[in-house]
Amino acid sequence: MSLPDVIHWLTHTPVNSVVMDYRWVWPISESLHFCGLAMMVGTVGLFDLRLLGLAKGIAPAALHWSLRVGMAGFAISVITGSLFIFGQPDQYFYNDAFKLKVIALTLLGVNVLAFYSLEARRVLTLGPEDDAPLRAKWIAAISLSLLILIMLFGRMLTFFRP
Amino acid sequence: MLTSLLIWLEQTPPSVWVREYPSILGFPFILFLHTLGLAMLAAISVGIDVWVLRQQVIGRALRMTGVIRVMWLGLGINAVSGVVLLIAYPAKALTNPVFYLKLLLVVLGVYAVQRINRAVFPDGLAVMGAVTVATKRWAVVSIATWAGTVVTGRLLAYTHHVLFAQDLL
Repeated sequence: MSLPDVIHWLTHTPVNSVVMDYRWVWPISESLHFCGLAMMVGTVGLFDLRLLGLAKGIAPAALHWSLRVGMAGFAISVITGSLFIFGQPDQYFYNDAFKLKVIALTLLGVNVLAFYSLEARRVLTLGPEDDAPLRAKWIAAISLSLLILIMLFGRMLTFFRP
Repeated sequence: MLTSLLIWLEQTPPSVWVREYPSILGFPFILFLHTLGLAMLAAISVGIDVWVLRQQVIGRALRMTGVIRVMWLGLGINAVSGVVLLIAYPAKALTNPVFYLKLLLVVLGVYAVQRINRAVFPDGLAVMGAVTVATKRWAVVSIATWAGTVVTGRLLAYTHHVLFAQDLL
């Protein structure tokens, strides 16, 4: 199935009709998309800042619970983001900013995997005053950078439309 | 009178530059800075609110000065980028009631951040003791306010009646 076939299929689904035919579906989805992003950036970002030493006095484990809220935010963003793709697939699949955003999201996922496979066990036993290991700090710095890039590429979508 | 002022503002070099600079370093990048500022202030505030809502007692001295500085830097970036965006399309924003609602929510959100910071991290250091019900209420207010700010910010693109002051004549 070629990309034009995928785009043709997406534009002929009932989801496309809902997104495109009801005037308020797109603005409400965009609002929810940004709320989800704020939930993710706020909780993951605060955890990253703690690992980087900016919120000493809180045990990383105490902030780790908040990442569930971040995951919920990510889920909201993925669902609403999918609605946009169903609505105007050609505006995304041929958009360089979208491609870069997907790459940044994938790298963020790899970074999360790296954290849980290499550092989570050590980090989650740290006390409120303990410094995070250097590798965990690098993972946090990469995470923050990728979150900023995701926002940047997301904002640039409008200006790179085909 | 107001219309003439808006027409004059739209024709000033900074307004024209922001609207017409043919690069992503113009309007698109300023829009990104506005989003980044909101993330540094509102999103980090929501992260703190979620943490505060889970806490019963603050038992250790916190050193949150760094995080609080990040939030205030976010407010600064937001204010400057917001003014620049306003200069670019003054009539679009100033004739839209949703814009004023957004400003009101930002003011309330900043006030809620202040209340929480003073209660939980005075001077960046934590008081030893319980997280009060009042502080948790402010955390809920803060989450609701920032959600409202994000929603009204997005809806600005869909609720304006005019783009330029010329349209008011």
